[in-house]
Amino acid sequence: MTSRQIMIKKKLIGRKGNDGLLFKLVLYVLLIGISFIFLYPLLSMLSMSFMSLEDLIDSSIAWIPRTLTGENYAIGFNQLNFVMALWTSIKIAFLPTLASLVSSALIGYGLAKYHFPGKRIVLGLMLVLFLVPTVLTYIPTTVMYQSLTIFGIPLNLMGSLRAFIIPAMAGFGIRQTVFILIFYQFFRIIPQELFEAAEVDGSGVIRTFLSIAIPLAMPAFLICGLFAFVWYWNETSLARAYFGNNYTSLLMGLEGYINTYRSLYSQGQLTMESASSIYNLGVQYAMTLMSIIPLLIIYLVVQKGFVAGIDKSGIAGQ
Amino acid sequence: MKKLRQFFENGWEKLRQSHRKFQEKIWFPFEKKVGLRWLKDKLRQIPNKIKHAIYGILFISPWLIGLGVLGVPLLVRSIRMALSDKYYFITGQGWRIIGEWYHFTQFKRIFSDEPWHLEQILATLQDIALVIPLVVVFALILAMMLNQKIKGRAIFRTIFFIPVILLSGNMVSNFQSGGLLTVPAILSGQISGVMTEFFPEVFSEVILLAFGKIVLILWLSGVQILIFLAGLQKLDPALYEAAEIDGASMWEMFWKITLPALMPLMYINIIYTTVIYANLSNNPLNVIINVTSDEWGSLGGTLTDEVNYGRAYSAALSWVLFAIELVVIGGYSLIVKLASKRYE
Repeated sequence: MTSRQIMIKKKLIGRKGNDGLLFKLVLYVLLIGISFIFLYPLLSMLSMSFMSLEDLIDSSIAWIPRTLTGENYAIGFNQLNFVMALWTSIKIAFLPTLASLVSSALIGYGLAKYHFPGKRIVLGLMLVLFLVPTVLTYIPTTVMYQSLTIFGIPLNLMGSLRAFIIPAMAGFGIRQTVFILIFYQFFRIIPQELFEAAEVDGSGVIRTFLSIAIPLAMPAFLICGLFAFVWYWNETSLARAYFGNNYTSLLMGLEGYINTYRSLYSQGQLTMESASSIYNLGVQYAMTLMSIIPLLIIYLVVQKGFVAGIDKSGIAGQ
Repeated sequence: MKKLRQFFENGWEKLRQSHRKFQEKIWFPFEKKVGLRWLKDKLRQIPNKIKHAIYGILFISPWLIGLGVLGVPLLVRSIRMALSDKYYFITGQGWRIIGEWYHFTQFKRIFSDEPWHLEQILATLQDIALVIPLVVVFALILAMMLNQKIKGRAIFRTIFFIPVILLSGNMVSNFQSGGLLTVPAILSGQISGVMTEFFPEVFSEVILLAFGKIVLILWLSGVQILIFLAGLQKLDPALYEAAEIDGASMWEMFWKITLPALMPLMYINIIYTTVIYANLSNNPLNVIINVTSDEWGSLGGTLTDEVNYGRAYSAALSWVLFAIELVVIGGYSLIVKLASKRYE
């Protein structure tokens, strides 16, 4: 190979293999292509949410509305009772998230750091309980929640946020086994020497947990917090079953709207002017976007925590 | 700000002093008198092993309480549902389970008396077993791509968060009807044309199935990407620099550094993907189970027990689905374990 050829090769493939032009090209093409797949439903909703009723009906208009109208958002805002529903959503998502983070961290730490008889059984049971299809557990859960007591004290779960918070405190929240396992793995890879050093310096059990284990498991807190928040935010069927009409979150409001929309549609009442101006796809998509966007904003802020190599283990050679 | 800090520090110091005084003047004599001191010394003599066991059990005690109050009753109830002859709702009395458990009525129906659904069971196993490794591998590749130094990383990462939002709760039903989670028909037709031309039939069938599911797989891998991404944060860049100086290629670094560090998360992703996919998808088994379930996907609703095969039958089928999940998770975990042993 001539030196020129070598130079070209270096430019294309790069020195390490991940800094060449070719690599970058493939990377960006793949990322942009996949991004398009993920953005597609949101983009089509976005364009339809700005369409007037005439544009929605006109099949020749697929993407770009003839006239941009914000009316759908105004109707959606009122239909959702947006400010109230947003606050309810935040309450429904935030408190159980906090509860499940605390309990998952504790349980994960107990499993990762200490050895005790029956640990394998605990892990096995956790897995089994996670694998049981939700079809089976739905009715027994709701039946049990109606009269759940702990050490003889009635918990009165139904109709209150406790129905989400208390199971989350015990590690039985929505898909919480995943969080426990994530914390378990993150605590397990902390070098044992760090704990030993702390204990030699007279750090107690709780102190070690708070000041050594937790800071080193920050990425686990980040993703588990995000997942829990999204999952509780989006949960509608369990929320409807537990809370009844006591709470109406954004997503529950949206679901109610869609149900009314469908029943009006099947009754053939949407031909009426007054009904179709409120119940149409434009408004539905505007409402869907309004209930998703808070989550995207939160993520955009939180994802800054994902910075490669935030922590050093602090032990030479580890 | 500084003053505020000083104020708190002073307060803390005062608190500590009064605490020490309290200990010396009141607490220690009291301890001695009551015999607490003796107890404390005895506690200190407990071997570390037992102490650690106690600490471990204390840390997981919330879960143990939950297990007793919620977990075990739920498990027993779900098993009883599947082992009953009939399971139905009576107004005023609630849900009733009829029949003795040791009859195994429903399982006999599934596997010997009315073995009409064995085909669906196998098809479901095949479907889940095919999708899970693809999702996990895709998630791993995408997570590593998102961890590169690229322009607009925050925006890309936010876009890759969309599946996490859209694939949870009832949100997915808003989109499934629009066919957004599958490859457009024209595209899959073209792919199949190319495939059958170049590959032997058995081979191309598997690839086709994978291509048909590729969009679904991408949508399913949102959570897993983030789990891997979080794992990648724990990797020290200095490790890569050192390897580079030693002349390691990117390929070697991937096998020797990245993959071993992500191995524990691999198990979590296999478990998570299997559970979500088994519950979410309209696999052949769920189609049968769903006939007896209501709009929320629970074995309830207003349908009478005589509709289709009955609720107890569906409950038993759900346990077959559970067994499939267990087989898939066990199988792939074993493969991952054996593969990672090779690189140790």
